[in-house]
Amino acid sequence: MALKVKVGKIGLVDALKFKNLPATRDKVIEAAPAKEITADFPINNNAKKLHPDCQKMVITKIRDHGKAEAKTFFLKRADGEKAAYFRAGQYLSIALNIKGSEITRPYSISCSPSFTAEGMYTITVKKNQGGFAADYILKNWKEGTEVTVSEPLGSFFYEPLRDAKNVVALAGGSGITPFLSMAYAIRDGIEDFCLTVLFGSRTKDSILLGKELANVAAAANGRVKIVNVLSEEEADGFEHGFITADLIKKYAPDGEYSVFICGPEAMYRFLVPEIAKLGLEAKYVRRELLGVTKDVSGCEGYPPKTKTKKFALTVRQGENIYETTAKASEPLLVAIERAGIAAPSRCRSGECGWCRSKLVSGEVFTPAENEGRRYADKQNGYIHPCCAFPVSDIVIEVPGTYMK
Amino acid sequence: MVKYDVVVVGAGNAGLIAALETAKAGKKTLLIEQHNLPGGCATSFSRGRFEFDPSLHELCGVGTAENPGNVRLLLDSLGVNVEWCTVPDCFRVITKYSDGGAMDVTMPSGVQPFIDKMEEYVPGSRSSMEDFFELLTEIDEGIAFLSSGEEASNKELFTRFGNVLRVGSHNCKDVFNALGIPQRAQDILSTYWSYLGVDMTHLGFLHYACMVHGYIKDGAAMPAHTSHAISVAATERLRELGGDIWFNCRATEFVFNGDKCCGVKTTMGDIECDMVLANINPDIIYGKMVPKEIIPEREKKLSAARNKNYGARMFTVHMGLNKTAEQLGIKDYSIFLPGTSVSEQEYKNVLAGEKTNEYGIFLCYNVVKPDYSPEGTCECSITTFMAAEDWNDVAPAEYAAKKTAMAKKLIAVLKRKAGIDIAPYIEEIAISSPLTFARYLNAPEGSVYGYETTDWDGLMARMMSVGKDYPIKGLKPIGTSGPRGDGYSSAYYCGQMIAQMALKEMEQGGNN
Ligand SMILES: Cc1cc2nc3c(=O)[nH]c(=O)nc-3n(C[C@H](O)[C@H](O)[C@H](O)COP(=O)(O)OP(=O)(O)OC[C@H]3O[C@@H](n4cnc5c(N)ncnc54)[C@H](O)[C@@H]3O)c2cc1C
Ligand code: FES
Repeated sequence: MALKVKVGKIGLVDALKFKNLPATRDKVIEAAPAKEITADFPINNNAKKLHPDCQKMVITKIRDHGKAEAKTFFLKRADGEKAAYFRAGQYLSIALNIKGSEITRPYSISCSPSFTAEGMYTITVKKNQGGFAADYILKNWKEGTEVTVSEPLGSFFYEPLRDAKNVVALAGGSGITPFLSMAYAIRDGIEDFCLTVLFGSRTKDSILLGKELANVAAAANGRVKIVNVLSEEEADGFEHGFITADLIKKYAPDGEYSVFICGPEAMYRFLVPEIAKLGLEAKYVRRELLGVTKDVSGCEGYPPKTKTKKFALTVRQGENIYETTAKASEPLLVAIERAGIAAPSRCRSGECGWCRSKLVSGEVFTPAENEGRRYADKQNGYIHPCCAFPVSDIVIEVPGTYMK
Repeated sequence: MVKYDVVVVGAGNAGLIAALETAKAGKKTLLIEQHNLPGGCATSFSRGRFEFDPSLHELCGVGTAENPGNVRLLLDSLGVNVEWCTVPDCFRVITKYSDGGAMDVTMPSGVQPFIDKMEEYVPGSRSSMEDFFELLTEIDEGIAFLSSGEEASNKELFTRFGNVLRVGSHNCKDVFNALGIPQRAQDILSTYWSYLGVDMTHLGFLHYACMVHGYIKDGAAMPAHTSHAISVAATERLRELGGDIWFNCRATEFVFNGDKCCGVKTTMGDIECDMVLANINPDIIYGKMVPKEIIPEREKKLSAARNKNYGARMFTVHMGLNKTAEQLGIKDYSIFLPGTSVSEQEYKNVLAGEKTNEYGIFLCYNVVKPDYSPEGTCECSITTFMAAEDWNDVAPAEYAAKKTAMAKKLIAVLKRKAGIDIAPYIEEIAISSPLTFARYLNAPEGSVYGYETTDWDGLMARMMSVGKDYPIKGLKPIGTSGPRGDGYSSAYYCGQMIAQMALKEMEQGGNN
């Protein structure tokens, strides 16, 4: 043995020290007090405040928007705590039990983040928005109604390290809500960017939150500008027609700008080629969640003669096994919810991955635009049921949910 | 009530391996995980067209299919198949030598190339470096022997592994000096300290040796498709072995029959079992999840002696860039950017808070795998360490701005030190702070290193105390707080070792 390393003067003493490592350790342990062990950590408590499992809220006020066919609901934390803070543009996933279905729906928060200090959020619900849930909410939510909501979610917010300082927002219908929140945040000095909103409505009377938008623009020191674009009416002070590349160019500031899009599916589809004309880098174009198409059979690659079929669906959740059926025309998540099973979901667009489930057997179709799965999940039979349509009988394993 | 032989709580690296081990042994195994994904730290998340790895920098001990390292052997033995990529170099480090001179060195993998390169940077270092690697080899063999359980007389041990026994109780710095390694070479060798979260005067040499040898000799590796691919490979194998997995299921309490744990209360119902392996920090287990009366004196003292010293916390900026690595002039996979190569000073600066902290590790994943992200793009991250106090009382409304400011600083450090300007090309960005880790892992203070493996509580001392710590019947903590300390490979080894102990205990207890 060529190498002989000696650290201390006497090798044997070192070897003994090594042998005694556990005894030395024991001595340190023995010398410590036998105190009660606590596990209360400020960072973890902060994390829980920012990201609660869910929040119980009570409706304290409702504002009816008349011809815009929508209502704004003021929600307040039932336990008197502050509401979890959010970035303007984020949404809440709202839990609802409608006729035995355990569902969730995402709604953008429409107030300033400063509301959270009072334990408050507002959401603005437009008629027919999700059909089923929107109508239910508009009809049934009253002052005093209790509602369970998620923590604030999503990444549709201004990110100073990524976005241009000038943001041109393209909104349609209830898609205005995240931008109203951003406008408030700018007014309140919470966000630091300039916002130009091109807002498409049918007529002057049907502009959702028109008054609120005008007020916040007036109070934001010139940093928020609202341009209303009317498709079915011509009027002074309003643009007429649809939001096009030319219109965006007309209002876009000089130099770099980001485009943020939030609106109904039809508007988004119309805008895609228009935005392409602007020649912006991908990083400067951001869109809010798309939802899932109502007509999956129109998607490329959808197997023919499937859309009217019905399949057997087995759902495993923990020790429970449920047998039900699933329509080919609906995402699996909907079939699960119809069966009264509370399964996890948030974005309902395929992006957030919260509904990630194991497809034990069977086959599903996922529209390309909703493909948000991780690489390894795709390879290993994990699906996002919120945007996976059954094309055979299905056995699926779903996670638990904390929205209770 | 549902009944399993073994319930593994937490699907972190240690939990996954432990569950595989017990399932493989024929035990009816249930793995529960509070998140909707496996892996704990070893996971991924998507933003736009990018998929990010939240934790892994590099894994040692993977080796190649022909020349497998210990990690590959372990995963192979459990039937977990992962596609690996080899990391080309060990690291580049840009900082100051302890004598104040500028350091910008790139160290290759492979023992001989490493020695040669070191001689180039530090003439006269060759013979001490050769000794260094000879010692590392002896340590590998020695530790393999010691953990094999084979008997040997003291004399035999001393003749075969004399060096191991003599250096075994010493810290890195002392052993470097004993080997006569020139100071500048020591400065370069200390680059890895942050992977263990302990500076060179408090880090046991054997601990350092195990890791560093793995990196240099076998070369480091990365999964081709983020750590999530490792974790999913593990869960799918567990299913094959007959194990069950419940996601979004949080254990809230452990149930006891006398002094023996016999079940778990969870958010998805109560479960009866013979053995619980908990991938949870013991302070949380004892502080929140078991009846106070069953906690032994020594465990209270152990916790008090550790005094909530969970080691450094992480802060990472993940970025998807809309230019390729080549276009941005990025040639290295990992660039370490400490303020100084004096690890004791650097660690102090980190812990003293954001004002003095200028530590950073920059990674560009596409250097390892050119198509790691979509064509025309690349994926990068910058990681630093933080003191708990930095994030203790951050007000919710200030949180985003605080993260942004820290990220900005790190991006500027990269530009200043390495001349790499990424700021204009950020297409996606996600910033994780200690709060983020606290949120997803539920680990104390958002730490990911368990307890600091320092001085009296170092790796060897813990290894030699196995069985003494955590004596509760039917409930064994696993993970980075255990005998092997932090890191993916350590968590794997720990999961396997403790699971094997549990299996033995179950046999002796007559439970089958
Ligand atoms: C930014 C960063 C960089 C890193 N770089 C590297 C690197 O390059 N190389 C390396 O080797 N290591 C690296 N590490 C460290 C490494 O990731 C960790 O040390 C290791 O993964 C920890 O594994 P674990 O099993 O101990 O714990 P964890 O990963 O914390 O897993 C514990 C699991 O248990 C779950 N859990 C906790 N409580 C409960 C409960 N009550 N009920 C149910 N489930 C529960 C958690 O959700 C989690 O999934 C890095 C870490 C970070 C954060
Ligand atoms: S709910 Fe977000 S991906 Fe399904």
